[in-house]
Parts: sequence; C-alpha cells; structure tokens
Amino acid sequence: MTRYIVRRVLWGLLLLVLVGALTFVLFHVFPTANPARLRAGRNPSPRVVAEISRNLGLNRPLPTQFWLYMRGLFLHFNLGYSYYSEASVRSLIFDRLAATASLTIGAAVIWLGCGLSVGIISALRRRSRLDRASMGAALVLISAPEYWLGLIAIYLFAADIGQVKVLPGAGSYVPLTTDPWKWFTSLLLPWLVLAASFAAVYARLMRASLIETMGEDYIRTARAKGLPERRVVLRHGVRAAINPIITIFALDVGTLLGGAILIETVFDIPGVGRLAYEAITHADFPIVEGTVLLVALVVIVANILVDIAYAFVDPRVRYS
Amino acid sequence: MTLAPTRLVARGRARRGLAPGGFALATVAAAAGAVALAGCGSSSGGVGAASAVGVPIGVQSPLSQPLSGGRRGGTLTVLNHEDFESIDPGIAYFTLDYEIVDATQRPLYSNKPNTIDDPVPDMASGQPQISADGRTITVHIRQGVHFSPPVDREVTSADVAYGIERGANPNVANAYFHSYFGSLVGAEKANGGPFPGITTPNRETIVFHLSEAKAQIVADALTLPLSAPVPEEYAKRFDARKPSEYGNYQVATGPYMLKADAEGKVLGVGYQPGKSATLVRNPNWNAATDFRPAYLDQIDINIGGDPTVIGRQVLEGSDMVQNDTPAQPIVKLAYEHFRGQLSISPGAGSRYVAVNNKQGPFANVDVRKALWAALDRVAMNKARGGALVSDVMTHFIYPEIPGFEAAGGLAGPSVDYNAYPSGNMQVAAKYMRLAGYPSGRYTGSSTLQIVGATGSPEAEDAEIVNQTLHNLGFHTRLNLVEKSVMYEKFCGVPSEEIDVCPNVGWIADFADGQAVLDVPFNGEHIQPSGNQNWGQVNEPQINRAMGAAETLVGAGARAGAWANIDRELVAQAVAIPYDWEKAPSIESSDVAGVSDLWNGGTWDYSFTSLK
Amino acid sequence: MSAAGEPSAASTAPEPALAPATPGPPLLRVEDLCVQFPTERGLVHAVDGVSFSLERGRTLGIVGESGSGKTACSLTLIGLTRHMGARVSGRVLLDGRELLGLSERDMRRVRGAEIAMIFQDPLSSMHPLFTVGRQIVEALRAHRDIGRRAARERAVELLELVGIAQARRRVDAYPHELSGGMRQRAMIAMALSNDPKLLIADEPTSALDVTVQAQILDLLARLQRELSMAIVLVTHDLGVVAEMADHVAVFYAGRIVERAPAQELFSHPEHPYTWGLLQSIPTLFGPRERELRPIAGSPPSLIERPSGCHFHPRCPYAQPRHAEVDPWLEPLPGDRDHQVACLLAPQLRRQLSSQPAGGRAAAGAIVSGAGREAGA
Repeated sequence: MTRYIVRRVLWGLLLLVLVGALTFVLFHVFPTANPARLRAGRNPSPRVVAEISRNLGLNRPLPTQFWLYMRGLFLHFNLGYSYYSEASVRSLIFDRLAATASLTIGAAVIWLGCGLSVGIISALRRRSRLDRASMGAALVLISAPEYWLGLIAIYLFAADIGQVKVLPGAGSYVPLTTDPWKWFTSLLLPWLVLAASFAAVYARLMRASLIETMGEDYIRTARAKGLPERRVVLRHGVRAAINPIITIFALDVGTLLGGAILIETVFDIPGVGRLAYEAITHADFPIVEGTVLLVALVVIVANILVDIAYAFVDPRVRYS
Repeated sequence: MTLAPTRLVARGRARRGLAPGGFALATVAAAAGAVALAGCGSSSGGVGAASAVGVPIGVQSPLSQPLSGGRRGGTLTVLNHEDFESIDPGIAYFTLDYEIVDATQRPLYSNKPNTIDDPVPDMASGQPQISADGRTITVHIRQGVHFSPPVDREVTSADVAYGIERGANPNVANAYFHSYFGSLVGAEKANGGPFPGITTPNRETIVFHLSEAKAQIVADALTLPLSAPVPEEYAKRFDARKPSEYGNYQVATGPYMLKADAEGKVLGVGYQPGKSATLVRNPNWNAATDFRPAYLDQIDINIGGDPTVIGRQVLEGSDMVQNDTPAQPIVKLAYEHFRGQLSISPGAGSRYVAVNNKQGPFANVDVRKALWAALDRVAMNKARGGALVSDVMTHFIYPEIPGFEAAGGLAGPSVDYNAYPSGNMQVAAKYMRLAGYPSGRYTGSSTLQIVGATGSPEAEDAEIVNQTLHNLGFHTRLNLVEKSVMYEKFCGVPSEEIDVCPNVGWIADFADGQAVLDVPFNGEHIQPSGNQNWGQVNEPQINRAMGAAETLVGAGARAGAWANIDRELVAQAVAIPYDWEKAPSIESSDVAGVSDLWNGGTWDYSFTSLK
Repeated sequence: MSAAGEPSAASTAPEPALAPATPGPPLLRVEDLCVQFPTERGLVHAVDGVSFSLERGRTLGIVGESGSGKTACSLTLIGLTRHMGARVSGRVLLDGRELLGLSERDMRRVRGAEIAMIFQDPLSSMHPLFTVGRQIVEALRAHRDIGRRAARERAVELLELVGIAQARRRVDAYPHELSGGMRQRAMIAMALSNDPKLLIADEPTSALDVTVQAQILDLLARLQRELSMAIVLVTHDLGVVAEMADHVAVFYAGRIVERAPAQELFSHPEHPYTWGLLQSIPTLFGPRERELRPIAGSPPSLIERPSGCHFHPRCPYAQPRHAEVDPWLEPLPGDRDHQVACLLAPQLRRQLSSQPAGGRAAAGAIVSGAGREAGA
C-alpha cells in the first residue's frame, strides 16, 4: 500500500515538471501576442518595445529563460511577476484562491447532495413520473449554458435588479473572514447555478450506475438474507455504484479549483478563473502560466487522491 | 514673443471598442427612428444650453453637464468590468487608466470636462512661453501645491522635470516619450536621468530646449500625464526595479489619491489588481490652487462582472456609475427607459476600412472609390449599435477636432461616391468601369486577403465588407483573428500583403488634425512591423502637405491646412470610412455626473457629485 | 391450460405419500403455485400450477432446462419475485404458515432465517467490497440481537462448520481472494447463519469444477444430516440430482411433468422429456460409440406456449391429438408415488422406455403406425 502511494506521488511530480515545461514552451515559444508590444501602447517605436522586452526578460535566449523559469518555479515556488501590475503572481493567485475555493466547495456539497439523492431515487423508481421528470430536468440543466443560467438567476432573484428580490446579486461577495453571514448569502446564488449542471450530470450518472448495480447478483443475495430494503440499497447498492462518481468528482473539483471563469465573471467573484481570463486578454503571461500550473497541480493531486481512495474503497484494485 | 495660446489637448489610447454584448439578447439598437439628431448649438428641454454633434435630445453630453453647483460629500461607487492597464502616471495610456490619473495627478496643463482643445494651466501657473525661433518653451510652476502623504512637501519644477525624465527610463518605458518629446535635446540618449533638453533654472521654472522647431507638439504633450510631478527622492528606489514599481507606491497631487498605507504602499490597499480600487481625498490638496471642485469624498471602484448585469445595477441602483463602455443592450435600455441617465460623448474616434494602396486591386484609386460607394455604412454602424453611438463617417477628421467643419462637417465632401451612406451599386459600378472593368464588376484573378477581428461587432462588420466585395465581383478569403493578433501579425506588417483590414480604427492624442491624420496616412510613417499606416498610403503630394502643416503654428492656420489635407485624402479615397464613434456612459439616477469630452466621455471624478 | 388464479388440471393429483424422515406434517407444502410476469411482450407464465411438498430433513430435486420455470419457482418460495413485479397465486405453506400473503416485513423475517437460499455463482453473488466475515455477520445481525464480537465468533464457527481451513484468517478475506470452492462454502455458511429449516440451492455447483462439485454436494449432505435441514435443490444437472435428492420433480414450461422418488425416476422414467434428459447424460459406462442425444428443439416461449401438451413440438412420439389436449399430472397405475403428465398410453410408454437407446426413434414409427392409443 505505501509503495503504491509513493509510486503515484512520484509520477505526479514528474507530470508536474512536464506540465511546467510545456507551459513555458506554449507561452514563450508560440505566443500569438507579444506582451512587450502590448505593454508598449500605441504607435510604439521599436526602441520602446525593445526596452520593455528587456525589462520583462523577453530578449534573453529561450534556453536561459527556460532554465530561470524552471529553477524559480521548483526551487523557490516563484511564479514570476505580472507584466502589468508588477505584483507577484503567487500572491495574486493565493489572494484569489479563497474565493474560488469557497465557490467550489459550497457548490460541490450541493451538487453531491442533490445529484446523488435524485439519482438514487430515480433509479429506484424507474420509469415513474418522478423519474421521468427529474431526468428531463437534468437534461435541461446539462444543456443550459452556465453563463446564461447565471444571468437568468440574477435577473430573477437578485436583490438589486431581480424580479423576485430574494438573494444578493452580482458583486456582493465578501471573504469569509470579513462577514460570514454576508459571505454565505452572497454565494448562495452562485452555488446553485454552478451546482445545477453538475448535479444534473451526477444524478444521471448515479441513476445509471445504481440501476446497473441493483441488477447484480449480490443484491439478490442481500435480499435473500432478509435485509431491510433500505440497507440493501444504500449499503450494498450505492456503495458499489459510487465508484465512477468518485473519479469524476475528484476531477471536477480539481478543475473547478482552477477557477470557474464563467460563474466568477457573471457574479463578479474575484477568483482564480477571472484572474486567468484577464491575464489572457492582456497577454500577461506569468499570471497565465501560474494559473495553468495551479490547475495542473490540483488535477494531478486530485488524481492521486482518487487512485489512493480507490485502493481503500475497492479491495480488488489493491494488487495492481 | 509669446505666441497666441496654442491648442493643447491630450487624448489617450482608444478604448477597446464597444464592449461585447455578453450573452444577452438582441444586439442591434433600433434607435434610429426615435433619434432626433441635434444640430450644433441648439437644444431643448432641461439638458443644457450647448449640445454636441450627433447627440439626441434628452441625452446628456459633456457639453450639457454643468461644471459647478454640485453637492459636496458622499461616496461614488464605480462598476467597471475591465481592469486598468497601468495606474503609474508615467505609463498610463489607456482611457480607463486616465480616469484615475486625472483625479490624482496634475500635469502642467489639463482640459476641463467640456473641452478638447482649450486646456487651462494646471500645475503650470500660466500659458507656455514659446521663443521666437520655436526652440525653447518656458513654463512657470504654480506655488502651494503639495504631494500627498507620505511625501507631503511642496512641488517644485524639479519634480515636473523628473516626471518627464523617468519616461525614458527603461523600467518605465513610457510609450509616447519618444514620439512627443523626442525633439528635446539629448532625448535619444536619455534613460531616466537628467538630459539637456529639460532644465530647471529655479524652483518655479522649467525650460524645454528643442533641437528642431517642433514646439507645437511638445506644448501639446504637456497635457499628458507624463508631465505630472513625481518626487525623485521618493520614487528613485521604485524606478530602479525592473519593471518600475512606482505605480504601486505612487503619491498624488490632485484632489484625490489612491488609498495607501503609512509607507505609501498602494498595491493591496488602494488598488487590488482585477478586483477594486479606492480613491480618497488627498489631505494635502488645496482647493484654492485648483480649478476642480472635487465634491465627492470617496470613490470605490469595483472591477469585474458581466457588462449587462453591471449596466442594470447602475441604471436601477443608486450612487453608481459605470466608467468603461456599457454593453450595447444596456445602451439601448438606457436610451429607452433611463434616458436622463445616459451621456453620449462625440468625437470618440473613428473606424474605417484600410485597403492596400501599394499593391493589388486597390492600388487603383477608382477601385477604392468603388468600394467607398458600394459599402453600406449605415449597416456597418447598425452592427455597432446604431445612430445612438455612431455617425456615418464621411471624411477623416472627426467631430470636435479643429478642421472638422472645414473638411466637410457631418455631410462631408460632396463627391458622388460619398453621397450614399447606405451604399449605391450604380455609382460603384461606374468607378469599376473607370478602373478598367467594363462590366462594372471585378473580373481579375486575384483573391483578396481580408483579415478582421473576432468578436462582436467586429466580425459582423468584417462580414458586411466581405459581402460588399463579393457584390463587386471579388473573390475573397476572410480570416478572423484575435484583435491584437490582427494588428501585430497581419495588418501591421506590410510584408504580409493583406489587401483589406476592415476593423481598424483611430483616435487622436490631441485635438489637432495632425494627431488624426499624420500617422495613419503619411507615407513617411510606414514601418516594417507595428505599422499603423495600415493602408500603406503613400501619396507624395499628401506627404509634402503634411510635412508643411506640421510646422504651422496657430490653431486657425493648422485647422485650415489639415482640413485641406483631409479633402485630398477623400479625393484619393485612401481608405473607406464608416463610423464616427460616440461614446456612451451611464449613471444612476441620483448621480450628477460630469463626463470628459477629451477622454471618451468617461465620468470625471473631480467634477461629479451626488444629488 | 389454466388461467391465472384458477386451479390447473395438473395440480389435482393427490400428493404421494412418502415415509417421512421425521413424523408430522410436511415442512413445506406448495399448492397450485402460479407465477406470472407482465412484460412488454406479453404475460410470461413462468410457473403454471405447481404443487409439491417436502418433509423435514429431506431433499427435493427440481430439474429442468433454463426457461422451465424452476428458478422462478424457487425464488417465489423465498419471496424474491415480489421485487420483480410478479403476479403470484396459490399457496406456499411453511410449517403450516401461509407465506404468500405475508407482508414484506414479515417475509423478511422468514428470509435468511427460516428459509435460506444459495446461488449459482458465489463470486458475483457475494458483495465484492465487503469481507466474507462482514457479510456473514450482517446476516446474523439482521435476524437476532447479537453483539458484533459474538457475531464474528459465530461467523468463524460457521466457516469451520462448512469445512474452510484456517477459518479465523479467512473470515477477513474478500470474496475474490478465495477459491471457487471456498467461496461456495462461505456462501453456504452465510445461508446457515440463522439455522434455516429449509435451504434452497439454485444451481449450487454449476459454476464449479467437477471435483469441487462433489465436495460441495458432500458438504450439503452432511449438513442436512447434522442440522436436519430440508433442501430444495434446483438444477439442470441430473447427475447432481442422482446423488442428493430423495424425490425429484421434472419441470417443463412452468409445470411439473413427472414426479417420483429419485430411485424410481432413474430406473423407470415415464415422460418422454425425462427420457431425453437421461439420454443426454454422458456416462462412464456403456458403449463408447453411443451418441449423446440432446433433445431436439428449444424450450418453448412462456408467453405463447404450445397448445395442448406443451411438450408436443419436441416430442418424438407426438400425435396430432396431443396438440389439442393438455394432459394432467396423474399417478401411474399401481404406483401412486410416481406421477406423469403425458397423453401416451402407459403400456406404450413402458414399451418405449425399455427399448435400447437406438430403438426409440424406430419406436416413434411404431406409435404413429399403431395410430390409436388409449386417450387420457
């Protein structure tokens, strides 16, 4: 077991180094915009562009830049400085991480709770009206674009510009440490919107997985033992059906921690996603690289955790 | 001999076009029917005496907003969905950046909100004195102006000198230092330290020494933020870092300052990149030394969010304004339901279709005239939001710039290819025949390379141009790329041999014909990369006329000369114009906003008040 | 043919009297059991009027092909067809108590306690994510108030009882970590946890090697003796039945077509279907050249059953009349324990059954040539 974990972690590290290198190549070797020129403003003389380039370290030979970048990254966790605000990328990202984490974790709790329970109920009452209605609703939520859903939610429920003024609208986010109640209410609408499509996917997944599991022989055996149906469903059925959900959940949360750009924009939440988006439009490469690496790190970690969790949850996996 | 007051105007870089319509609904504003275009000089209703070109009745404009009589106090909330590019006064060159710089920094000369060509002394105490040979400019510094904490002391001429000198510092790398101050003695070798072109004989005087007789440009440039004073002893250590960090520690001379901690640090206190900015009163500002009333106590700027949501929050809320471009549906909504909260600022720049004058089918002037005649300029503008935010462009100097009327005004020169804003295929055919295509349509074999920008409404405009070219018989290859890529890799690189660039635009730094026409249409300014004479226009007689007009002094003479050049550009149909932009701004109902004509109609914090 | 709910002809034959192993009424009595499943394609008549009884400590073998209704019947005994939307009628009496009408809660108390069931594939029938011990403990604690530690001890005991070596270690093993034979033993242990009176074994050896099969059967026999447990052994494998069963019921198309004590069935089979089953068993003795003769055709659809005698499409001796008349399950003259549902005359049948294997086909010609036989 320990060897398994160690092996996974080492692979993860290697992968991270590769991603770091690949990011560098993408942004320094194949850029579509020259940040020095963008920074230089209108009608720049070549001299100005050259000066800015020199400042940003862009005129050094690529291998040197690469070496400096990798060294700074892995030895000092230095992600560089923003071309525009001259703030350190690391501080910018960490500053935003709390907001993104708040958004992600809250939404995850909601979508797991709703999605799984709807999925389980639908699986047990297959083809009932409830089942058809909930699967239909799920389909709608999966198809609806997140951004559109967010706008609709705001126009319906936002306290400042909505029709039914119940929940705080866009721009009302405050950090947890500032005002816990306000933090909570300001995140309700974003949580619901973000969770909506995920809950729908998970409901469908859970339903399908549970239907398949409930047809297995060991469910029949469990019933033959005289166990109450609830125990059969939850302990025997759901426990076995939940495996695919675990994988997907870890990946979803991992990716979202890299920033839910659309929700963050619509609801004006200062998260990592928005940071990345703005950096992209400015060709502020250090920030973009930093967020790419962050997402890669989180996804890799999530994957490792899933692998380890599997080994605990499913004993058949352990000896591979 | 002191010359008559020259026209000194500053104009920053164009904002990035009208904001995208987000994911919201219809984008075309059909305001045409309801709009009554007010002519110059008359208006009705309680909107104010003067009315600007092309601004409908009932809508505010910088010319209609009163500059005095506001209520003191209160906090204004600003919702922007874009972030600033730089808040360092030595670097800032973007419309949005200027709203902060304008409230916190005092350059030598500044424009009041309702002027674009009539600056008043700000940090200076009087008009600039230009020597007879035009090579020396003397400016006297106003007394009793102090820096904000932690510097606190009085401003001297040395501070103004340092403000400009640091522009040449590679760690600052000001974008326009070499363009406008390049004629100062020793400017090419300047790198942040003193150079012979600027001297300060005493605390109250600063003298500029020019190597060529280009006093006009230098005097014009003294309205740009680079001439705002910067304390060298405080800023030196920040300017030594690569890149300079002075912006994150800046001090102010204007009525407001970015909130800072006791050591002067602004980053993380008064400015959180991508999140917010906070302006508070500058405790060391002396109202007696400034023409600005400064009614507000505090300005809270919130960055981010969806443009349509922001727009609604501003229109339906209280004590709020939006300072970057509202989304098209919001402009339409404001016009229809919140008309009193909408302000439109004319003279926000121009858009035209650049065609390759050097090679290809458009090297022929008649082919260019044909495209001019054929293009439906009304449709092009409809895609941008209609008559509310655009006027059909008929020549190259745009409204509010001296020379506009002399060059033809709104209607433009009365040549037949200019006479049909919705396009006229017969006139177009006529010119095609003149160009040597008897059928009235192109029959050659080349395929036109067209490069436009992605996103709305650029893509729609590019498509309209593409379709028009098809109607004229051309085969085309249309490529849409990201805007910065369009400029950097295609349209700005002559060797790429692009035939048509339908999404280029221009906005001047000063209210002067030269600032509008020189760089885009002078053959001397063609560059191998970063080229902004996108059409590679190179008419010898036009080049000569421009060279001569550059050296003129005196507003009237310059206006006349550049207007003539404009007419010549029209006669040669060097490019196909379509849009004179008018910039919209929105405010809440209880805000008495004052917008800056010289800065694309952005709300001016020093003049705005709460009702 | 019988409609659901009506007593079928086949069930009117009186029960055979068999000397009980233990005195008293039979442990299990099934009367006229009908099980139907409504499906999109029609009503499936899985069990069509089946009756039998079983004494304590005795083994009933239920034999038939897949699709004969034997599994549906066994599942219904333990009440598991309720979950599948089945329509059940008839009577199932356990120690005189009617099971079919019980509420689900009451039935749950019976399941796993008084009646236990083991299944064909122990790997898929045991939960892959829980240890064997935990699954047994679960079965124990579902029916009695017993602490976890005590339950675990009992689980170890049960594993030893079924012959698993190193039971204390194996109790923490996962099903996939055990061999096929051990898994089946573990499942048996699980079934035994609450001292069931009746064990239903659905194809308990079909997934196992031949040698392991023998061990499991031995185990079952031993447990039956030691615990005085009745067993219903459902299988398609006549060899298994021969070893273990006291009494055999042959199922076809949802009905019993022949019923007899095991000895009698193997020495004097009466129904042509039974002949087919026996004929298709490879044996170690007898001429090597003797062909294995599977029964021609395939099991009938339980939705659209053949008219008349359900077996007539596959019967080598069928007459035109057999397509119209449905035979009843009736005792042989002179042997009330042995019952058959067949329209052929008993004398003819005896003649056919005593023929050597190869002669049966020719006998078909004799039958048709003879034309009339005594109708039933």
